[in-house]
Amino acid sequence: MKRRQTLSAILKYFVLAVILLFLLFPLYWVLITSFKTNMEAYAFPPSFLPQAPTVESYIKLFTENNEFFIYYKNNFIISGVSAALTVLVALLSGYALSRFHFRWNAWIVAAFMSAQMFPMISRLISLYGLMRGMKLINTHAGLTLALTAAMLPFSIMLMSSFFDSVPVAVEESARIDGASRFGVLFRIVVPLVKPGILAVGIYSFLLAWDDYLHAATLIQTDSLRTLSIGIALRYLGELSYDWSLINTISIVGTIPMLLLFFFFQKYMVKGLVAGAVKG
Amino acid sequence: MPKAMTSTRRIKSATGDKIFSLGLLAPAILLTFVFILVPVIDSVIKSFTEYKIKNVISGAPGTWNNFENYIKLFQNDKLMPAIITTFVFVFAVVISQFLIGFILAVILDSKIRGSRFLRSIMMMPWVVPTMISGMVWLWLYQPQYGLLRYLVQVVTGGSVADFAILNNPNTALLGIGIAALWKQVPLTTLLLLAGLQSVPSDMLEAATVDGASALRRFVSIVIPYMMSVIKVTVSMSIIENFKQFPLFWTMTGGGPDGATTTLAILSYREAFVSNDLGSGAAVTTVWMLLMILVVFAYNKIFKAEPMD
Amino acid sequence: MKKHMKLTAAALAAAMAFSMTACSGGTDTASGSQASGTGETGGASQEEYTEEVTLKVANYAILESGYTEFWEGVKAGFEEKYPNVTIEWVTAPYGEITNQVINMAGGGDMVDVIFSELIWIPTFVEAGLAAPAEEMLDADFLADFYPNVLEAHQVDGQTYGVPLYASSCVLYYNKDIFEAAGLDPNTPPTTYDEMLQMAEKIDGMTTADGNKIYAFGVPTASVAVVGSFLNSVVYNYGGTVLTEDGSLAIDDGFKQAFDMIKLLDDKGYNPQNCKPKDLRNLFALGQLAMYYDQSWGFNGVSSINPDAANFTASAMPLKGGDGDGAGTLQSHCFVMVNNGGARAWAAKEFVQYVITPEVLNDYMNNITPAYPVKNDMADCMPELLAPSADATTQAKPVPLVAALNDFNLELCTLAQAVTVSDKDVDTAIADFETSANAILAG
Repeated sequence: MKRRQTLSAILKYFVLAVILLFLLFPLYWVLITSFKTNMEAYAFPPSFLPQAPTVESYIKLFTENNEFFIYYKNNFIISGVSAALTVLVALLSGYALSRFHFRWNAWIVAAFMSAQMFPMISRLISLYGLMRGMKLINTHAGLTLALTAAMLPFSIMLMSSFFDSVPVAVEESARIDGASRFGVLFRIVVPLVKPGILAVGIYSFLLAWDDYLHAATLIQTDSLRTLSIGIALRYLGELSYDWSLINTISIVGTIPMLLLFFFFQKYMVKGLVAGAVKG
Repeated sequence: MPKAMTSTRRIKSATGDKIFSLGLLAPAILLTFVFILVPVIDSVIKSFTEYKIKNVISGAPGTWNNFENYIKLFQNDKLMPAIITTFVFVFAVVISQFLIGFILAVILDSKIRGSRFLRSIMMMPWVVPTMISGMVWLWLYQPQYGLLRYLVQVVTGGSVADFAILNNPNTALLGIGIAALWKQVPLTTLLLLAGLQSVPSDMLEAATVDGASALRRFVSIVIPYMMSVIKVTVSMSIIENFKQFPLFWTMTGGGPDGATTTLAILSYREAFVSNDLGSGAAVTTVWMLLMILVVFAYNKIFKAEPMD
Repeated sequence: MKKHMKLTAAALAAAMAFSMTACSGGTDTASGSQASGTGETGGASQEEYTEEVTLKVANYAILESGYTEFWEGVKAGFEEKYPNVTIEWVTAPYGEITNQVINMAGGGDMVDVIFSELIWIPTFVEAGLAAPAEEMLDADFLADFYPNVLEAHQVDGQTYGVPLYASSCVLYYNKDIFEAAGLDPNTPPTTYDEMLQMAEKIDGMTTADGNKIYAFGVPTASVAVVGSFLNSVVYNYGGTVLTEDGSLAIDDGFKQAFDMIKLLDDKGYNPQNCKPKDLRNLFALGQLAMYYDQSWGFNGVSSINPDAANFTASAMPLKGGDGDGAGTLQSHCFVMVNNGGARAWAAKEFVQYVITPEVLNDYMNNITPAYPVKNDMADCMPELLAPSADATTQAKPVPLVAALNDFNLELCTLAQAVTVSDKDVDTAIADFETSANAILAG
């Protein structure tokens, strides 16, 4: 019995180690490659620690490739604004779906659910013409709206599950005291779903940060481009590779997300889980 | 008049609710309608027309062409391989993702040291942008200097010296699948872990006292309790992988020899490389139909099973 | 409360109205503006314009580090000479620039000049964007081009691309590796058979740090331009791929070419599934002895390893079978869009400003080696390319069929079928015929 327990414990730790290695080692690998010279990066067998660590590609990135930071800044603006917008719209709709049960709710939910399933590429062709008609092509406003629309369905479902957990009695007493509908929503209910707001906000920020296809289609001016497309454009060019630089960009492009995640993980984990379990 | 007062007020309040509710929903409905549903419908319409770059420039609507886009796709032997590749990819990734995620969740849920810390660092790949994770894995797979080549060489004692996973039509899909798993396993684990933690511990203890084996406890208590979490987790993963595009596009572009041409890649290639937007729209229409079918079937199957 | 009801109702009405307009905008995009292809016909405008003009030049290369400096210099120089013209770069990734230009045109936003690959010309012609050079440029300027080069840019007798310089798929080889293998570094192979004999000596060699040295590289990955490389190998064998009128013409030379590609793979001489840039990378690091590239690919090599200039030499494309070693003619060219008036004038001045020895001499000699295409630039031939000076004069054009991009990708798939998929050449060609014919029938 004892032996079986130790055996299973060993097996457990072994499996844990293998999975964690799979998840974390690639990041370590990128990190150390970013500190190698190109010539060392191209050595085989590869070195597991940089032989002559260098910050050359970081210097190169920060000095020569200034466009990178334009893409970076744009990505922050776009992701931030679309996350804020998503939260706002999801707050309103989530509240409506959670509090008022009309016949059309089922249809609206169905529409949102199916909207979530449609792949971006299927919309790409038409979206372009449509946005052109609205004069939204090649603008940050257009990109933000398109991204918000894409993230809304899931966010609304998530948000509405948070409203579900706020007792209706709280609102009823406020209504009797003469508060308006909007007053009730914003002064009484919204403060109670703060964790939901954070969860939706961070989730949509992450998704917007990840976007490639929207930006690729809707933006044409270099100074308006976002990170993913900018990377593809400049650093995966046709002429040649610069692997140390690519790895450096991977690190610099990921760090804000990591920070965001580590700062807010409590809310995010709770929020996503709550939403997913109910949704 | 006074008699009817209360009832009119009630009616008024009900219509007020209706209008208020619709007003709250309006922005979301509007955005979803304009940016998602209209383009989708428009794309379905385009799939029945001859719509090429000339039309894009002149703004002329496509002309009806008797299902020719669909007929051609089937005749060219392009659609079926893409459908099969998509299904193989989705099926394999979803299942392995679920299994790995579940195993990791169970381990993290058991009393091991530092499980909080591990839980938070294992999430790291999830926040890496897809485009960048594609580059990360491209670098690991690089045929001449990649880490994978080295590892395979070491493990096989040098007998496989030139392992290039993305260059071989038999392994390229696996290569992309691994990259997809890397990015998606963390979230699956997180959700399943939350599900595990929601299983009431007193029930488990009671079952242990009754002498139920670990396996028995797992099958008859843990799994039923987690059913709704499992359902959501798996359906999220189906949708995510069915839609996957950037990983394929950056890592293989559909090659080698068409081995990783999924519906996503095929539609992109038809529409934006061959400049035949009607044909591209036909592929996406088939793609969307399949996706709806799969999700529908999935929900049916899961509903049929007893939940508790 | 009543107030709120009114407000929400009003908002709702407004929202509905908006959604309806949005909807109609979605289904009928016909309201988009028509392409403005209405310029002066019959020769370039001779008028001088002094008004302020913004010239839109679509250029992927400005974003590639090897080229940025040159293009910024062009902009500065041109704007100095023509103070009333401002150049605005329209950028996109290499693979995306054609869509970008087309999408913009669809939105009524026309570019004036596109820095293009020769093989993209059919796409712009098909889209109705490209204007014939005869209509845009001065006749004496055009008359100075080598006729065979200009012909390669023609569709139905009209020139739709104005080349800056040209190349074929030339052979670059590493003199150091040749020496180490006991071969004469000044005698490159001239035929595929000679190459195979040399490859046998190189095979098995490693670099100083123990990396394998590949003997001979031809790209086979799925990028449209790789189709030109494969087409070039077919031409080396005297074979044909497409007839003048754009139908498939598979002959012995075609089959022999793919037999060779399979053989190179079976012997392990050719690194598998490479893009041109993968080969450049390997060559720069001394891991590839010989490979086919467009001459300007050397820029990619030297950006990875600045020492490459010391060991690199060029040679004529190899002869195979009954062929005389002709390759495909390739170029970087300007595709022009006729926006009429001052913009057409500025586009003409721009093209005629860039394609001069003054602007391109330094570029062709020091930035990226390329073959001259014009009599007045005959002296611009870089030293590196001197041994293969005839590569472009004997190169043959690729018929510019409408579906060229897609067709080229199908050629790549064929090359992958006989290499990584290890299919038998005849079967693979039969499969290729089916899919290629479907594409050409378009």
